[in-house]
Order: sequence, then structure tokens, then C-alpha cells
Amino acid sequence: MKKKLLPYLYSFPALLVIGLIVLFPILYTGYISLTNMNIYHWFNYSFIGLDNYVKALFVMDSGFIPAVLRTLLWTVINMMLQVVLAFFIALALNAEGLRLKNLYKTLLMFPWAMPGYVSILLWRMGMFNTEFGMLNQWLRTMGFENINWLSGNVMAFTCCTVVNLWLALPFMIMMIDGALQSIDKAYYESATLEGAGFFTRTGKITVPLLRPIVAPAIIMSTFTTFKQFDIIYLLTQQQGAKTGADIHTIITYVYEKAFITNNFGYSSAVSIVIFAMIIVLSIFTRKDLKEEGR
Amino acid sequence: MKRVVAVILSALMLLTLFGGCAQSAAPATSSADNAASSEVASSAAASYEKAKEPVTVTIWHECDATIAQTIQDELNKLAPDIVVKVERKEKMSEALKLVGNDPASAPDMYFFAHDKIGLFAEMGILAPITDFITKEDLSSMIPMTIPAGTYKENIYQLPLYFETLLFMYNKALMKEVPKTTDDLLAYMKANTKNGSYGYVEQHSTAYYTAGWMQGFGGFIINDKAEPGLNKQEMIDAVTYHQQFVKYMPADGEYNTVTTLFKEGKAHSIISGPWLVPDVKKAGIDLGIAPMPTINSTNKPITPFSGVQGVSVLKSAAQTKKDAITAILKQLLKPDIGIALAKAANCAPANTKCYDDASISANEMIVAMKKTADNVVPMPNVPAMDVMWSITENMLSAVNKNNADPKTECEKAQKEALSQIEAMK
Repeated sequence: MKKKLLPYLYSFPALLVIGLIVLFPILYTGYISLTNMNIYHWFNYSFIGLDNYVKALFVMDSGFIPAVLRTLLWTVINMMLQVVLAFFIALALNAEGLRLKNLYKTLLMFPWAMPGYVSILLWRMGMFNTEFGMLNQWLRTMGFENINWLSGNVMAFTCCTVVNLWLALPFMIMMIDGALQSIDKAYYESATLEGAGFFTRTGKITVPLLRPIVAPAIIMSTFTTFKQFDIIYLLTQQQGAKTGADIHTIITYVYEKAFITNNFGYSSAVSIVIFAMIIVLSIFTRKDLKEEGR
Repeated sequence: MKRVVAVILSALMLLTLFGGCAQSAAPATSSADNAASSEVASSAAASYEKAKEPVTVTIWHECDATIAQTIQDELNKLAPDIVVKVERKEKMSEALKLVGNDPASAPDMYFFAHDKIGLFAEMGILAPITDFITKEDLSSMIPMTIPAGTYKENIYQLPLYFETLLFMYNKALMKEVPKTTDDLLAYMKANTKNGSYGYVEQHSTAYYTAGWMQGFGGFIINDKAEPGLNKQEMIDAVTYHQQFVKYMPADGEYNTVTTLFKEGKAHSIISGPWLVPDVKKAGIDLGIAPMPTINSTNKPITPFSGVQGVSVLKSAAQTKKDAITAILKQLLKPDIGIALAKAANCAPANTKCYDDASISANEMIVAMKKTADNVVPMPNVPAMDVMWSITENMLSAVNKNNADPKTECEKAQKEALSQIEAMK
């Protein structure tokens, strides 16, 4: 009996901390979502059942489905580009005889070392700004007209993708680079002896051996990309600097629909609905991963 | 031994975890006050001394350090009976939402713009200032500053100074200031070329464009919290304004337009007094002119104004009534307005301040005083919180993506009604 209880006792402090900082906020959000806590009932809120959920589903009107589809498209495009680009950059970094490897690696890590908020605003002012941005300065020097990079939907989406890649590539490159170095060189040597070329070696040795190591990194990045807020909000939706592009993802959409209303009950209900969506998504990805593992 | 260390470390971790939940025993008193009170306790006539103990009043703010210091200096005149602590609080309005009704954590008063008054009054954390001073005491204030701080017929703010947008121009570039908006458009057409602009503004930001809307007789939201985005006046304003945007930088956000003006690449701008120090530092020969008159309505561009002042929290209203009354009376004197004008170029809310020679000689303050008859205080109804974003979506769709003004106005109105409903 003592043996059975002891592990729980040891892990109790950690479980308590996890409970307080992870579980409690979720449960509390769930509780608030069942109340009418808003500015008109700030301190004297009461239990109102599922009314907020009805309202939350109602808000998911015509704009919500496009936002969901856009979020999925955003996640798929970004993840594909991230993995493919990071893979080739990491391969290049591991090329035989490459000089100044460490310098390149340090430079490639640079975007990661900078706070995201700062990078995004630098991109906005330094690159995409219509008057002072580098892109338009180049265009003007070459005799072309200014382009408003962030106002059209397709163009703004592309610009956001570029910034997301700039911010997210370092992590993926580091993971793939680490995984590449863990592959035993003997495999390549024997494959070369057998007459395998670059593509055969990459397809038959590198990719299969990378998969188990890189998969968790991809899953983590997928969630970060799915719930990306900063890039889209700061580049196109920031109050006082909206660009006219409507490229809301789920998170920016509900932020604009729910969170600015100061209605905590309602915002909590929307949060719980998104939370449920992410849980469903994670169940699917876990299932995929397990099947792949077999 | 290892076990003991592990237990101690776990206990410490748990203690620090709960440390933040502890309530301070004497939240509103400083160490100096504690020292003073311990001395009092040790004295022979303790109870008598206690009655004379200074009252400490905390005022939260989130403004410029010079302004806060000026208010602090003015209220230091009430020492030693009343000790006022003007404290900076980051994200003050968020903090007030969380602790506004908790006497242990909330301040006694706060200093902020008037536009959050409705929100805090609706939450029930404010006491009307007429509980401490009379309406007659406020008779010398510039008329628009009083309705700015009034919500549901209660006055919740004692105004100290106000801000509004000004028509600023570069004297070296603009020889004659356009009197009407049609003149302005003609000027823009003639002078916007090669990266240089006749006139710039934050054309898709609600706070700046509101001047055009109000000049047309439109409104974003009225004091009954009814949005007016699809009113004919609003559609006319947005349609008329759209043709000016063609001659302004497409990305009309704050940094872009102000940099253009500071670098001498824009001849004129509508912006706030906060821009003036930077413009002067950049060596621009700055002129301030009256707002151009809109031809079709014969009314000038009518911008929003922000009234900065102090409000009293309900939790402090009963316990520190005398001290708060004394503070409000001190701030009713013209001294604070004159001091703020001298220290930070603020336009005083109290008309008596303008009798002072140094104020009447300040070109910018005099210009702001003149525009005070021609401004609309920002709405202070809580529903305004959702209107900024909706109005800006509408403006950026029209100005940056060439959407049809009428369609966008209708869409925005529908959105506004549903968002205001969602607040309840």
C-alpha cells in the first residue's frame, strides 16, 4: 500500500503546480462561461447556464467558417514550407566541407533570439511600409509604382506567411540539424558503396531516420501555427493601423468578435469552444503519429 | 539528508506559490507612515495624536512623468494633514477592472482620460464628484469638459486639461492655409508628387477621421449608445473623405504620417499636441491654423477631444471624504492648470487659467482653447469600446481597398449592433 501511495506523494507538489497553473484556469474559464460576468454585472454576476454558448455559436456567423478554412490553409501552407525549407537548409548546413558552419548557424538562429513582437513590427515598418519600407524603396528605384503590400487579401496572406517563416524556421532548422547529426554516417557510406545517389540516400536513409525525431517538433509547430495571433494581428489588424485586408484566422476573429466586448462570460464560452476544437485536432494528430509509429 | 532537503525545497516552492495571494496588512500606507504611526502609538497621548494622523490618499495614473509630478507637487501643498501619493500604474484601466471594488488594493482616486468613465460607472466603482463639491464649483470649467465626464446624469470627473487635434502646417512649405476642405483638396492635388504630400492624416483611424464625420453632422455612437454608422451624414462623410485619401500615403498609420511631417515631406497634418515637441525638435517651422470648413455643411472639421481629469473611487468616498474634498478643492484652483500648461503645454480645463499671461502667450494652448468650442468629447458610453475597431474596419475597407462606402457603412452598423448586444 505504502509503495503504491509513495509515488503520488513525491509527485504531489508537481501535480499541484500543474493543477494550479494549467487546470485551474481552464476550469475557472469554464465556470465563468456559465455566468453573465460582463461590465453590467461585473461584481454581481450570476449563473446563467448555457446562454453564452448559444451566443458563441451564433457569433460564428458568416465570417467564422471562412476564418476556420483560412486557419487550416494557413497551417498547412506554413507547415509544408517550414519543413521543406528547414530540411534543405539543414542538409546544406551538414554538407561535407562547408566552411564557417557555426557562423551560418548562429545567423540562422538570429530571428529566434529576437522578441517576436519586435520582429513583426520591424517587418511592418522596415519592409512592408508603403513610404519607408525597403520593398517599395527598391520598386521606386527600379522605376515602378508603390505597392500596398498588406491591403489585398492574397498579398497580405503571403506577407504574413513570409514573416511566419522568418520567425519559425530557426526552430525547425535546429531540430532537423540535430536529428541529421544523430544519423550514423556508416549508413551513407555503405549506401554509397552500393551505388546509391543523393536522392536515394535522402529518401531511403535520411527521411525515415529523421521522422521519429522531427515529428514532435512538427506537431508542436503545427499548434503554434494554428493558434498564431501576433503576426496576423500586428501586420494587418492592429487598431489604429488596420490595412483593409480581411485575413482573420480563428483566433484573431474571435478576439475581434468577443474579447473586445468586455463580456468575460461570453469570451470564456468562445475560448472553451476553441479549446475543444484544439483538443479534437490534437486527438487526430496523435492518432496519426501512433499509426506512423507502428 | 536528501529527503530533508527535498521536503524543505518543496515547502519553499509552495510558500512562494501562495505568497502572491497574501494581502498586505496596510496596503495604503508607506513605510514612512508606518514609522509615523509607531511613534504616535508610543506617545503618551496616543488617542489624541491618532485623530491628527495624516490621511494618505493614493491617486493612480498612467500619464507622462512630468504631468504626474506637476499634480504631485500641487497636492503636496495639502501636507502634512493629507499625504497624496500620485502613483504610476501600468495598464491602469485593466487594473481598475480587477481591483476597483476592493478597498485594500484599489486606489482612492485615479487620473485618466474621460472616455472610460461610463465603463467604470457602469461597473459601480465610481462615486460622483458632486458628493464632495458642488456643481457651482465647476462653473469656471470650459463647457464641453463637464459633459465629457458625465455619465447617466452624474458627474464623475473633475477635468484638469483637455487634448484635441489641431491643423498643423509647415510654414516653409505651405504659404497660405486652405480655408475650406475643397481648397485643401485642390492644394493636395497640386502639391502631392515625388514622395511629397500636401496634407496627411491617419485616414483610416477612427479617432482622426471622426472629425470629418462630425463635421458632416454624423456620429460614431451617441450618448444613448446607439451607433450611427449607416446614417446618411456618415455615408456622405466617408464618401467625401475617400477622395482625399488618394493623395495621402496608403499606409496612413501614425509612424508613417508623423515621420513624413517631421521630415518636411508633408506640408500639413491633423494631429495631436503630443506631436509638437518632436516637430519642433526636427526643426520644422510649425504653424497652427483653424480646421478647414467642410464646403457642403459649412461646418469645420470637428474632432474628438479627450478630457483628462481625476475621479473618485466609491470605496474611498466614505472613509476619506474630507481628504478627497480637500484634494478636489485644491484642483479646482487655477494653479494646477497653469502649472500643467507651463510644464507640459497642456490646455487647462479651467477658464480662469487663461487670464495668466504665460498661458495667453502660448500659441498652441490658445489654438486648442479656440477649437474647444468646436470639438466633440469622445463618447464615454461603455459600448464605444467595440466601436473603434468596427469603424476602423469600415474605414480601411473603403480607404485602402476601395470598397463601396454605403455597403461598408451598412455592414459596420450591423456589426456594431450585434457587438453591442454581445456586451450584455
